[in-house]
Amino acid sequence: MAVQGVSLSVREGELISIIGANGAGKSTLLLAISGLLTTWNGEIFFQEKNLKGMSPPAIVRQGISLVPEGREIFSPLSVMDNLRMGAYTMYRKGLKTQVKEDFEMIMEMFPILRERANQLAGTLSGGEQQMLAIGRALMARPRLLVLDEPSMGLAPKIVEMIFSTIQRLRQEGVTILLVEQNARAALKIADRAYVLETGKMVLEGSAEELLVDDDVKRAYLGKDYGSFYDGRD
Amino acid sequence: MDKLTIEEKNQIKLERLQTTLNRAYKNVPFHRNRFIENHLLPEAVVSLDDIRRLPFMDRSHLGIHYPYGLFAVPLRDIVRIHTASGTGTNPSISGYTKADLMIWQKLVARSLEAAGVTSMDILQINLPPGLANWGRDYKDGAENIGASVIPNSPLSLHKTLMVLRDYKTTTLVTTLAFAEQLMDYMFASERNPNEFNLKRVVLVGEPVGSDQIKNLEERLHVDVWLNYGLSEIPGPAIAFECLHHCGMHINDDHIMPEIIDPITRESVPTGQKGELVLTTLSARAFPLIRFRTGDMARFLTHPCECGSSLITMEWLSERTDNMMIVSGIKISREQVILYLKDALGVNDPKCSLRKIRHGGTEIVSIDLVLDDSLFSDEIKNLEKLMINTSDTLAELVGVTVKITLTQKRD
Repeated sequence: MAVQGVSLSVREGELISIIGANGAGKSTLLLAISGLLTTWNGEIFFQEKNLKGMSPPAIVRQGISLVPEGREIFSPLSVMDNLRMGAYTMYRKGLKTQVKEDFEMIMEMFPILRERANQLAGTLSGGEQQMLAIGRALMARPRLLVLDEPSMGLAPKIVEMIFSTIQRLRQEGVTILLVEQNARAALKIADRAYVLETGKMVLEGSAEELLVDDDVKRAYLGKDYGSFYDGRD
Repeated sequence: MDKLTIEEKNQIKLERLQTTLNRAYKNVPFHRNRFIENHLLPEAVVSLDDIRRLPFMDRSHLGIHYPYGLFAVPLRDIVRIHTASGTGTNPSISGYTKADLMIWQKLVARSLEAAGVTSMDILQINLPPGLANWGRDYKDGAENIGASVIPNSPLSLHKTLMVLRDYKTTTLVTTLAFAEQLMDYMFASERNPNEFNLKRVVLVGEPVGSDQIKNLEERLHVDVWLNYGLSEIPGPAIAFECLHHCGMHINDDHIMPEIIDPITRESVPTGQKGELVLTTLSARAFPLIRFRTGDMARFLTHPCECGSSLITMEWLSERTDNMMIVSGIKISREQVILYLKDALGVNDPKCSLRKIRHGGTEIVSIDLVLDDSLFSDEIKNLEKLMINTSDTLAELVGVTVKITLTQKRD
């Protein structure tokens, strides 16, 4: 999806959400942020640094971790090895003790991952895989955690659990950019949100404002379009 | 939001400007067609300066697209509809969605907090019927802070004074005309300001000179704060004074100001005076894009001690249009004369308009020259015509109108 004339910002400590339907251009934006999309015009700054032209690994080193759509965990590897992969940049910097602390922190956050530590990641349930994907991203100690559709394909109960974890991360000071189709879940925990529609931002506002916005309700919160008739007799 | 750095604020402004233009283009035929005529699509706006490529709006557009032609949301999303008198034969109608009301409430709260209003205050509102919508907004904003609100009910001077004293009002939101007449009445009826708990007066509706402010402050023992608003769009607290009185802070994270030369329509260098032009950045129901206010102002460049990154301006008393401000309400002379023509059935009514103060408010006084075209043998008929005309005019413009017949001077 072509994205044009779009501006957005995330301040330190904020949990910002981009909501929009399938094909609105959300993934295009994330591909550009993470360096996977190479040809685009404009500017993306992260802590005063221009990310334009940086390779995906260089962007990770700047402190941006992406939890990709569909999890993209390494199925043939164990849960533990998946987490180790996430700590790649930490190992390179020789921060072994910190990596150990992070393992503990993630196991404490997701006790199920400790139970399944030696299991192959491919055998985990969808929800567990999502936890693993988040855990793997956190292993890099990101300054900005970018989540792409973390609720996709998960049962409502699991979504709730994943989202309360995201909320907890935010309370612990992680800055988060959350891209979601599940607007209701996203707006419940976000500070601010953007609504992306066919490659354009059509709304920006506090989560509180967007939750009462009729346009958002109609398009993303499952309220029926009903008699969409402008005149009143 | 006013604790943002200027860079952060400008980023947010650009984001909001883009969403506003996208919504206007998508939902409002008037805006869409103007984009197309100018060969400019909303996505081409990638910096705040790009706004200069867009055409201006003025009050006439609001009248032409009466009643709902400029609304950017379906009617069923509207939760409040507001009417202002406009400049032509049609009034201008604007609307709010739920989210709009929420934002305005916060902006009004911000302006009251800047004047020192807290949950410990008792806030009384006295605004004329033409500014009733602002009365509602001040009520909402003050309630948001947790202050006790005495909602707008235009009372006589005598009753207002009683409520002020007995209810221990600390904050009065009103017009200059009312405040000054109240002060005079207080002294005339031998009430000492020490009997009152009044601490501050928030003045709305028109620019006020420093000598008038000083006079009010000294005689009433209060601090005076000035708020700037537009009656056409819902919003009394577009700009406000903070505790440092360093000029008026514009809520420019939600309403973007520009100052232009009213003749050339080009932006003037920062600090020079010109016409204030406003663009709403967060309004859902009724976006205004480069709306020419007719008000003169200039941006101030020195930063305010309060540390706010909001733009500050000085609101000047001149106007670029032919409107008069009566009790805080802008009244178009052309509209009044247009109406007189219709009502009296004469092509060129010879009249002069002025405002006079009366009973706590200001009214429009029209001196109408009685010539052959108007003359009637029956004095009764003539009287009736004048009464009907002034009543209907009053309804149209939102303030009391008094018509006096004068003799033709040869």
